[in-house]
Amino acid sequence: MAVRRIEVREKVMAKNDELAAEVRRRLTEHGVPALNLVSSPGSGKTTLLERTLETLGDRLTMAVVTGDVQTQNDADRLASRTDRLVQAVVTGGACHLDARQVLSALEEVSLGDTDLLFIENVGNLVCPASWDLGETAKVVIFSVTEGEDKPLKYPRMFERSGYCVLNKTDLLPYLPFDVDAAVSYAREVNPDLRFFFTSALTGNGVDAWCDFLLEQTRGEVEVAG
Amino acid sequence: MHELSIALDVCRIAEEHVGARALPRVTAIGLDVGDRAGIEIDNLQFCLEALLASPPFGSGVPDITRLSGDELSVTYVEVEDNGGP
Repeated sequence: MAVRRIEVREKVMAKNDELAAEVRRRLTEHGVPALNLVSSPGSGKTTLLERTLETLGDRLTMAVVTGDVQTQNDADRLASRTDRLVQAVVTGGACHLDARQVLSALEEVSLGDTDLLFIENVGNLVCPASWDLGETAKVVIFSVTEGEDKPLKYPRMFERSGYCVLNKTDLLPYLPFDVDAAVSYAREVNPDLRFFFTSALTGNGVDAWCDFLLEQTRGEVEVAG
Repeated sequence: MHELSIALDVCRIAEEHVGARALPRVTAIGLDVGDRAGIEIDNLQFCLEALLASPPFGSGVPDITRLSGDELSVTYVEVEDNGGP
């Protein structure tokens, strides 16, 4: 059997990267910073967003695109904290959001009236690291119930994130979690990672996080991640 | 976990290069996959074997070259030559 070989040399992620560039172009056109929140399931992404929407709701107009494998539970929770449309993306089994889904979700978001966009990714510390969504930066959230060596176990996600939120700090008195070790492991992977320490449940540390978000909307933060 | 998405993109790239009508004649698809590409190579191999053995493909196989780094590329598509263009 004669065969013919066709040289290709094409990056598999090229299509996603092209769509991510279009997301980035639209966001830049309207001056909207976008944070891609990534974490393992149960780290407190949605609770942190609820707290953020409550705290900054009268100062910023925030839009949210939230992804889940199944259910719109997170979107419903967040919708109760904001008058803005919360775009739910149900991935139907896929373990990450991709740029096509975000671009599609943005069709319904009035970017001209938006100060800040959150993209709440599917809870997973592996796959979302591979997909550029057109965000300004990735924010990796991990909680004190997860073990301080998480950055070493999932280095790619911590490498690709510009910021890290260590959440559920209200539980520190009850857990053998070493905060200094966690920070050290994370900085071993990514020396430039900027940290926030929060309890989204009690609100402790959320002010510093919100100050950072206000800086974002004033264009004071460099693109990272 | 996301290897099936990657495998579907590989098939899309193959179709772009050989055309939909040639897909049943695809015999192999070459890929370079880096060890830091975030890919479980055995899983990707499994997904591609399943896809390339099912319509619109016929009996193609993946040919994965493992590299260091974060490369993730389709390098070639091989098709049974029927003498056409």
